[in-house]
Formats: sequence, structure tokens, C-alpha cells
Amino acid sequence: MTLAPQKGRALIVIGALASVFLALGFRLFDLHILQHKELSALAQANREQVVHQQGRRGAILDANGNLLANSLSVRIVTADATITAPQAASIAEKLAPLLKTDVESLTEKLSGQSHYVRLNPRAKLDEDTVQKVRAMKLKGISFEDQFIRSYPNGPLGSHVIGFVNSEHMGVQGIEASMDDYLEGQAGYEIIEHDRKGHEIRALRDEELGPRDGFNVVLTVDQVIQHVAEQELDKAMVEFKPQAGVIIISRPKTGEILAMSSRPTFDPTNMDAASADARRNRCISDVAEPGSTFKIVVCSGALNEGIVSLADQFDCENGAFMYAGRILHDAHPYGVLSVEEILFHSSNIGAAKVGLRMGPARLAEYIRRYGFGHKTDIALPGEVSGIAHPLARWNSLSITRIPMGHEIAVTPLQMLMAMNTIANGGMRMKPMIVKSIVDQDGTPVLQYEPQQVGQVVSPRTCMLMTTALRKVVGPDGTAPKAGVPGFDVAGKTGTAQKVENGQYVRKYYSSFIGYFPASDPQISILVSLDDPSGGAFYGGSVAGPVFREVAEKVAEYLGIEPQTQQPPQAEVAKLS
Amino acid sequence: MKRNRKREQLRFGTVTKSLVVCICIATSGLGYVWQKNTIYRLGDEIKKRETALSSANKRNLMLAAQMAHLESPAQLEAECQQYNLSLVAPKENQVVRLYEPGPEWDMQMANAPLPAQFQQQTLGSQPKTLAKR
Repeated sequence: MTLAPQKGRALIVIGALASVFLALGFRLFDLHILQHKELSALAQANREQVVHQQGRRGAILDANGNLLANSLSVRIVTADATITAPQAASIAEKLAPLLKTDVESLTEKLSGQSHYVRLNPRAKLDEDTVQKVRAMKLKGISFEDQFIRSYPNGPLGSHVIGFVNSEHMGVQGIEASMDDYLEGQAGYEIIEHDRKGHEIRALRDEELGPRDGFNVVLTVDQVIQHVAEQELDKAMVEFKPQAGVIIISRPKTGEILAMSSRPTFDPTNMDAASADARRNRCISDVAEPGSTFKIVVCSGALNEGIVSLADQFDCENGAFMYAGRILHDAHPYGVLSVEEILFHSSNIGAAKVGLRMGPARLAEYIRRYGFGHKTDIALPGEVSGIAHPLARWNSLSITRIPMGHEIAVTPLQMLMAMNTIANGGMRMKPMIVKSIVDQDGTPVLQYEPQQVGQVVSPRTCMLMTTALRKVVGPDGTAPKAGVPGFDVAGKTGTAQKVENGQYVRKYYSSFIGYFPASDPQISILVSLDDPSGGAFYGGSVAGPVFREVAEKVAEYLGIEPQTQQPPQAEVAKLS
Repeated sequence: MKRNRKREQLRFGTVTKSLVVCICIATSGLGYVWQKNTIYRLGDEIKKRETALSSANKRNLMLAAQMAHLESPAQLEAECQQYNLSLVAPKENQVVRLYEPGPEWDMQMANAPLPAQFQQQTLGSQPKTLAKR
């Protein structure tokens, strides 16, 4: 019976082993069956990673395909300060020259308590530098890709281009209005990585690549924009106005070739840009247009057949009493024809043309020219201006509105009104975006010039052009606006500013013109807000700026000079 | 009655079958491993090229921005001044304008009589004087 104890021991061993295996089995059951869901997710998370990829924001190009704004992918060096802290000084000494920063500030960043510190949030790192930093194998230092918005021309056209915020979303200008097209679509990848964190490409599970945003092609030409800004800067130095704008367009299509506004800002340095400097005054500021508005009343009256260019009005030697108030002219005039009223810019003459026209018809032409309504240019922040409805006109309105008082317009609205005359009476919608193209340059969306409506007849426009040509002549208000070799038609404006409800001795000096008058290719608006130094008339302040801009633009575009006057007999017949 | 298997001659067919099966299994195994290895190797290759492409694209964008800056009118003017190049736009009398003939000109030329030396030649034949040159 010696087997009994052995059997007993054997049973104990078997029992122990069975218990161990049972326990292991239970543990396996627990891990694989009971905790399967949580643990498999944990295991998957350990080896799988979802990598989000940001789509690159599209570029903004000028009419000739020159880059005005683009997004660049840059490497940001980041640090886990809790790891780098013990060796902060030595790491900072190694990195500072490569990151182009000083050792002290870098040491401070590296010795903090944060797990995530950006060491070069602004500086661009090229690939060589990245490789050098990588080769140092510094503990706690890693890299991150980030997009930054680049404006290669700096402040050029900043009011048109606009800028983006820290989240890469458009805030102003084309960046904001075309944000839906410019914005890229994010993509993602589900990847598996090895122990070292490197992706095992063969095990990439899902992949949806990011889509880069579309490029926006503008009608703006960067050279013409540069000319406009350069001349505006010169005018700002010479006449020291509070603000100034220049807009250059093609009257036949409504394309905006340049739009500049001062004060301005640099989109690459938004910290230094004040809210005042960021405002695009071409579309967001309104002011009384002054004498430039006489083109509306005179063209309306000519179009209605109420007056002809030769019809004469008594300009009362510079003082005209109407509805108990005296209306003055800058210079006393006697009897003037409608043509002379335009090129001498007589307020009394314009008021009398308005009186003959009547409030209802004048209000109708104000509406037809688009005043009081947005032009719907593809830029944010545009305002409608102020054009009171006929019901709110007072007894003086019919004499004040024809000379550009009691109405407020944006510079763009006024230029589009002049463009209407230059374009044979057809009002065009201002156009600043030419097309939307993909990254290969294939057009996705093509914008065409849009006609708004026929405001006045081509015959009226021809008569208006005849009169407006004389504005730059020796007897006109803007002889300095004449461009040698070109027949220019234009109108000056010197509007008094209103402060606290009172007219003050401050002026908006402006000139709007187009050339060649016989076949208008280019129209230009120059307006300076409160020029100082004595001169304030539109002809003597804005006129010379117009000439400088026009000469350079004509040279650049290769517009052939041809001083060609229409046959006088034909004009007389139409008149 | 037991058979003496040692003395029994190996059957060729059986051996061949066994060898084929073994080779198939071995080939399949090795093939699988080779394929897996190739997949991983190609995956690594793709990854490297993806990284290279991404870097090239980034560099391309950076260079495009640099080029745009260098080509900007303000920069060109600054360079002209710096190197005293005295570059100015051509005056109107220095410009020779060439006009592209339009459809009217084409019609006019189509109806115009041919010069005498070409009147004898038919279309497609080459003038002798030109051929000699």
C-alpha cells in the first residue's frame, strides 16, 4: 500500500497544476472574452494612429498669375519642457543659432513645466535646418508641420487681398469673401506604427488625402497696383491728407485693375495694423461726392432731352437765392452753357439744371446710377452709401443734390458712375475676381463682366464726353490732369467735409477721369481726404496725381497715344 | 503476414508526389514570406517617396513665394536703384507698334491679285528662286 501516499501527492500536484491552469484559463477567458472590447480598443490604440492632414489654403493670384498670397508649410520645433528642463542651457546653446533666436529666451522656454512649447512660432525652418536639429537627437525636442500665410508683396494690395486669422480663416478682403473657395479640405490616415513610432506603410488602413483649396485669380494687376500705391504714397507726402484712395478700372468690363487706400497695413505684420488702417476706404467710407456728382444731373437732363449742351443758364454771378438760402459758386459766373457748367463746375448752373429736371427724374437717375445701393463687388465691408428717398427730400434738396451735397457715396460707386458714361451708358458691375482655378490652373469657375443696365443713351455719353474733355483743357477745372498724347475726359470734385453736422473748411479733393476719351480703356479715381498745405481743389490736388498714374498705366499697358477730337460738326448736330 | 518494408522498393510516384507536395508547401511558405517582405519593403519605399514628394512640394511652395517676392515691382525697383541700372520705361517714340492683321485684312489680301512672278505657279509648287536660296 505504498502507492497511496504517492497517489495523494500526485493528486495534490495535479490539483495544483490544474488550479494554475484553471486560473490562467479564467484569466485568458477574462482578457479575451469578458474584457475583449476594452482591451482590443486599447491594443488598437497602441499600434494604430489617426493622422489628420490639413488641406493647404489656396493662393491668390493677380490677373497675370503672379502670386499675391500663398500658404507655406513650415516646421515648428516643439519641446516638452519637463524633459528638456535639466539640460535647458546646453540645448538652448545648440538650437539658438539654428532657430535664429537668443539663448536666454530659449533657455527660459526649455526650462518651464509645460509639455508643449513652440520654439519658433514665426521663423521659417528650411529642410536643411530641420535635418541638422534632427541629427542632434535631443531628448524632448520634436517637430510639427504648420501652415503659415505668406504675402510675398508685403503691403501691396493689402486692402484687396485682406488677411487671415491665427486659425487660417479669412478675415478681410478676398481672403474673407472667397474663403469657401480658398479653404482646403482636411484629410486623414489611419496608420500603424512600430515600436519606434515609425509608420508601417504596408499596414496603412484607411486613407483620405487632403484637398488643397482653389486658387483665386483677381482682375488686379500687381504692376498697376504698385503704380497706384506709389503715386498715392507720393501724394500722401506732398499734400499730407488724412487719407487717400486710388481706384483704376476698365470701364468696358468693370474690371478693377488696382484699388489702393491709405493709411494701409502690412498683412505680414498684423500686430502693427490699426483698425483704421485696415479699413478699405474705397468701399467702406462714404462722403459727399461734391462736383463729381454733376455728371449725374447733367447726363440725366441730356438723356431726357430737357437740356442740350448749348442751352444756357444764368449763374447769377456766384450767388443764387433759393428757398431762403444762398447757393454759392467757387468763382462768379454769368451765363453758362450746360457744357460750360460742367467744365467750370458751376454749382448754381448744376442746381438750375436740376430744377429744370425736377426731383422725380433726378431721383430716378440717382437710382439708375446705383447710388444708395451696394455695387456687390466681391469684397466684404462694402456700404450702400446714403441716397435719401424722394419722400425725404426737402425744398433745398433739388438744388443741393446736383452739386453733390445731401448724398453720400463710396469712391467705388462714383467711379462706376463715371464708367457708365465712359461705356456708352451701360452700367457694369465692378469685377475683382476673374476666375477660380484648381492647383493645376484648370478653371473651376470663370467670372464674366456683368451688365447692370443701360442708364443713359450712347448719344448722351458722347455729349458728356465732349464736355468732360474740356475739364482737363486750359479753361477747365483740371488742366493739370491732362495726359500728354491722350484725350482725357474727367470731372473734378472738391467736397466740403461735414463735422458734427456742420460744413467745415476741410475738403475731399477728387478727380475721376477716363482715357482715351474716344475709346475709353482705363478709368481712374483719385480722392484725397483733407489735403493740407494750401491747395485743396480737386483739379490742383487730385488732378496731377491722376496724370502721373495715367501716364504710367498707359505706358505699362501699351495704350497708343492718339489725341483725337470728335468732329465738331457731329457734336453740334447731336447737341 | 508481415511485409518486410525495408526490402520493399520505394515507389517513384509516391516519392514524386511527396516531393511535389513538400516543394509546394515550402514554395508557398517562402513565397508568402517573400511577398510579405516585398510588401513591407515597398511600403517603406512608398513612405520614403511620399516624404520626399511632400518635402519637394513644400520646398516648391517656399521657392514660389521667394520668386514672387523677387519679381514684385517694389523689389525690382529697389534692385534697379541699388545697382544703379537707370532702367526706365521706353518713350513713345522708342516704341514700334506692330498691328495684327484682322479678318478684314485677310479678305483684302485674298482678293488682291498675285504679284507677276507668282502668277504662273500653281498652289503647292515652290518658287525656283526661293528653292535656290
